[in-house]
Amino acid sequence: MQPMQLFDLAFRQNEWLAQRQSVISSNIANANTPGYKAKDIESFDDVMRSSVSMASTDDQHFAPAETGAVRNQDNGSGEADVLVSGNDVNIEQEFLKSSEVMRSYTLNSQLMKTFDRMLQSVTKA
Amino acid sequence: MSDPLIAASKAASNGLFAQSTRMRVLSENIANAESTGKTAGSDPYQRKTVSFQAVSDEAEGVDLVTVDDITRDQAPFRTEYMPGHPAADAKGYVKLPNVDMLTELADMREASRSYTANTQVIKQVREIVSMTIDLLRPS
Repeated sequence: MQPMQLFDLAFRQNEWLAQRQSVISSNIANANTPGYKAKDIESFDDVMRSSVSMASTDDQHFAPAETGAVRNQDNGSGEADVLVSGNDVNIEQEFLKSSEVMRSYTLNSQLMKTFDRMLQSVTKA
Repeated sequence: MSDPLIAASKAASNGLFAQSTRMRVLSENIANAESTGKTAGSDPYQRKTVSFQAVSDEAEGVDLVTVDDITRDQAPFRTEYMPGHPAADAKGYVKLPNVDMLTELADMREASRSYTANTQVIKQVREIVSMTIDLLRPS
């Protein structure tokens, strides 16, 4: 695998993680709002499958219409209890997701740093 | 769409504001738990309640939280027999506020828990941002 493609992939996942973090913070901010349903975003696999474009080797090839925008979707039902007020945000679950985001983000950043160092050790010689 | 991390901290700070407003109203209730009227038979302090609402911010793509309305609780007042009180009615009963300490304290506990959750989100977002900036730092 080429290192440049790896940077692209890592950045793409970081973008996705940032988006997820913003959805999580929406959920936590609305933890006491009546009738609010917890949200999540498409899994990274789905986003990648729809957003990684096919190589066009001819001018007449179609470009895929979908750009793989991150969409909000409701949490699956039954993942958390629905309160009397109609709110189904589970703060513990949101923190679990949040720490998952944190872990992946750290991993990506460290990986990018490592590859950056490898590239530099070649270019600087 | 702007940076999702900025949107995240915006949502969290909105949450902080909503919860602190709730805390303010709760402390008003507790402070006025014994506030009676001045004239005979008059109504005492009426308990306030806060309701929240989710507001979708189209530009940022997040659901922010706002204080929808601060309303008065219509529950009946407590009464107590105090004939000498200026607010006592013809039979000697004084109306006391419909504030229940236990309810207020439980509500306050929930408000402070939600406030902490929001500060935690802000902390984590800040850490993520500084991690990204660290990528530019020469090692």
